[in-house]
Amino acid sequence: MTTARSSLSILALALATGAQADEIRVLNWQGYGTDTSFASEAFQEATGHSVIHEYFNSEQEMLTKLRTNPGAYDVVMINAVFMPQAVREGLVTAIDTAEVPNYTGIPEGFAADPKLMIDGEVYGVPWTWGLTSFAINTSAIPEAPTSIQALWDPAHAGRVSIRDDALEAMQLAALATGQDINEIADLGAAEAKLAELLPQLRTFWSSENDWNQFMAAGELDIATYWSGSAARSAALGLPVEFVVPEEGAIGWLDSLAVPASSSHQEAALAFIDWMIDPAFYVQWDAEGAPASANADAAAALPEDAFNRRVLGDPEVAARVRFQGELSDETRETYLRIWQGLKAAQ
Amino acid sequence: MAEITATGDRRRLIAMLSPAYLWLTVAVFLPLSAMLFFSVLTALPQDGPDWSLTLQNYRLFLTDPVYATLLWKSLQLGLTVTVICILIGYPCALVLARTIRGRARETLFLLVILPFWSNSLVRIFSWAIVLRGNGVLELGLNAVLPFDVSLNLMFTTHAVVIGLVHSYLPYVILTSYLALQAIDDDIIDAARSIGAGTLTILWRLLLPLSLPGLLAGAVLVFVPVVGSFMEPRILGGRMGTYYGTVIEDQFVAVYNWPLGAALSFILLAVVLLILTLTSPILRKARL
Amino acid sequence: MRRPLLPVLGRLWLALILVFLYAPIMVMAAMSFNASPFYQLPFSFSTRWYAEMAGNPQIITAALRSVSIALVVTLIATALGTAASIALFRYDFRGKKVLQLLLFPPIAIPWLITGTAMLIFFFAIGLGRGTPAVIIGHVALALPYVIVTVTARLSSFDITLEEAARSMGAGGWTVLRRVTLPWIAPGMVAGALFAFAVSFDQFVVSYFLSQPGDSTLPVLIYTAIRKGFTPEINAISTIIITVSMAIMFIATRYSRFGGER
Repeated sequence: MTTARSSLSILALALATGAQADEIRVLNWQGYGTDTSFASEAFQEATGHSVIHEYFNSEQEMLTKLRTNPGAYDVVMINAVFMPQAVREGLVTAIDTAEVPNYTGIPEGFAADPKLMIDGEVYGVPWTWGLTSFAINTSAIPEAPTSIQALWDPAHAGRVSIRDDALEAMQLAALATGQDINEIADLGAAEAKLAELLPQLRTFWSSENDWNQFMAAGELDIATYWSGSAARSAALGLPVEFVVPEEGAIGWLDSLAVPASSSHQEAALAFIDWMIDPAFYVQWDAEGAPASANADAAAALPEDAFNRRVLGDPEVAARVRFQGELSDETRETYLRIWQGLKAAQ
Repeated sequence: MAEITATGDRRRLIAMLSPAYLWLTVAVFLPLSAMLFFSVLTALPQDGPDWSLTLQNYRLFLTDPVYATLLWKSLQLGLTVTVICILIGYPCALVLARTIRGRARETLFLLVILPFWSNSLVRIFSWAIVLRGNGVLELGLNAVLPFDVSLNLMFTTHAVVIGLVHSYLPYVILTSYLALQAIDDDIIDAARSIGAGTLTILWRLLLPLSLPGLLAGAVLVFVPVVGSFMEPRILGGRMGTYYGTVIEDQFVAVYNWPLGAALSFILLAVVLLILTLTSPILRKARL
Repeated sequence: MRRPLLPVLGRLWLALILVFLYAPIMVMAAMSFNASPFYQLPFSFSTRWYAEMAGNPQIITAALRSVSIALVVTLIATALGTAASIALFRYDFRGKKVLQLLLFPPIAIPWLITGTAMLIFFFAIGLGRGTPAVIIGHVALALPYVIVTVTARLSSFDITLEEAARSMGAGGWTVLRRVTLPWIAPGMVAGALFAFAVSFDQFVVSYFLSQPGDSTLPVLIYTAIRKGFTPEINAISTIIITVSMAIMFIATRYSRFGGER
């Protein structure tokens, strides 16, 4: 009884002074920026709000977590491709960018992305962008391949990995069959290409930590990966090299959003602001990070940083295919194809 | 036992029974009915008023070969695991029940069934540690054997089967043991006195007499294995897509609860069919 | 006098089975004491992972939540289950067979089906996910175990004792408290331990019913396993498996489950 009463009085005090310390829950990939310990600690010190991390294994799962756990999350990381669907389903709320001072640093190209700004309302704050391609284990493959067909190379049979994700798999197959990732005309060819890839696989990887462990144990030669994560794995001392093959790589834009059911919107926006803060980004990039969507943050990087070196290379940039909008029908088609392929194993 | 006569008795009976059965109704029987109802919906009522009745989810099961293929694959997995459990477990029960006696038997029996009551997830995880490449199993074998072996068992169907056998083997041992133990020694002695050999006794006496127990164990293994999803997910890698994992996906990822409900209900129908067909045997085994 | 039907070979087989059953668990436990974060050998002893686990608030909270849920489930399931067992034992009535049959679905139907059905139903009635949902589900799974265990104990109870007590003028409650309950107490203890274990080890139903951030220990372990293994998971798993085996060891002793008559 006493504890209940004393915590009530603390709450009343906090409300009166406006210095309410919230506990916010952040939903993201594991090991992807928001859960770095320095970030949470600095944030708590500055604002008093503590951060709890929750993870998803796929974007599909992320959406379902939002749908079936109203009120459980305050900040969610959403790939721009999935934002229109989240908005249509009323899962995320419009953001008052005035509450996010660092938003001014985000260039028009990202800020006004039609997947994030819908009917003039901002639903996602552009956070990072990067590439999905593949990385090699340099102790197994000394010479970096130039073609995406390396994933299909029988020399690596049983030592390849991709993610268990319908969209990523289909877009990978589109690249490998010379098709537009956003308009796969010949679905049959992509499906057949994936059917050839599956027997090559050792397993599916589901998180960066997972990926690192497979590489550290020497269980994989070659696996799909994200540019920021590759930089991070290399920084950990793993023999890893990220490859942007001649067929191209998938470009993505990740954003931070606030679930409509969040009851700590103010603290959530404060956290998002911190996540696009140049100070946070420079520190994150030192550990390995994707490219920041905030021009101020990107400019704050040292000249030799991976994100300036590789992604800044115009020749590489020309090979990037950014993910476009995806209709529900297309997504369901991909899902059906992918499910069928996995079931046939 | 008393026939119910007085109204006081009836009231007491209801007072004692209803809490437990009301609980089971709310937590099991109503949910199962709700699942049947949801399986014929186009969308979830909690997501909006636009829903209607449909048989589309069941039609999908019949038209899209993926689901039938996976159900068949899961049934095959169930069969494989069950057969292996019987082949390994029955001899073990036989040894326990017929050749070991006294305190040793009690202790050994307890040792065999104890893992069964421990956390199944943790046991599957322990297999993942043992089977992973460059894992303990390979290192151990390479230390003993003069030549190098590379098993690479992790993320294969074999790994899933091994994990599931480990999980459900004690069921078969338990039920077979109970049946074998109940067989009267005099029958064996009588058979022996008229010159029956060990194999004859095993084949003509022990096996038929303990068959209900053995089959009950088989059913208890088969049913949960067909519905397994956590084991293939952890041990199966790319081979780990089964009927159970697709149902899990509908609920935690794809968010197609009506389809998930329909798939669950089809599985339930299969399970109930098996339980009904084998219920005379189960009753004979007194379980 | 029974002659052994099977020779030494049989005992060897039994020994192999025991190795098969216990070796992986032992390896898993041993690895929780290995210093390498990547499970690398040679083995070097360390209690580092236990220290890290103890310092991980998420694991500790989940463990405490699992234990408290299991305690609540044990209380409810034992009380309701014992009452039902006594009623089923003491009275004969129409529909009794059906009621006994209804105890099997929670045990016999795969948890995947029960769990998803509960999820659908609890959402439909507005309860949603969370600890209350988990408790409701666990009690339903534990009830049949309690009823079976208590009923087994009751079967050796002499009903005339109750009648004798009543004939000496004892009321219904007195008979229950002074005669029936003391007799079935061991059965209740065993049933309670089963209920605790069912809840404490339950993964599938908790997985579908627990709210993120309020997950039980097994759910936390599953989430962690899917993100890649760490010896910290070995440490917590070792503790869990030791606890549940100890509980079941005591429970089987109490109920003489399957042992010698």
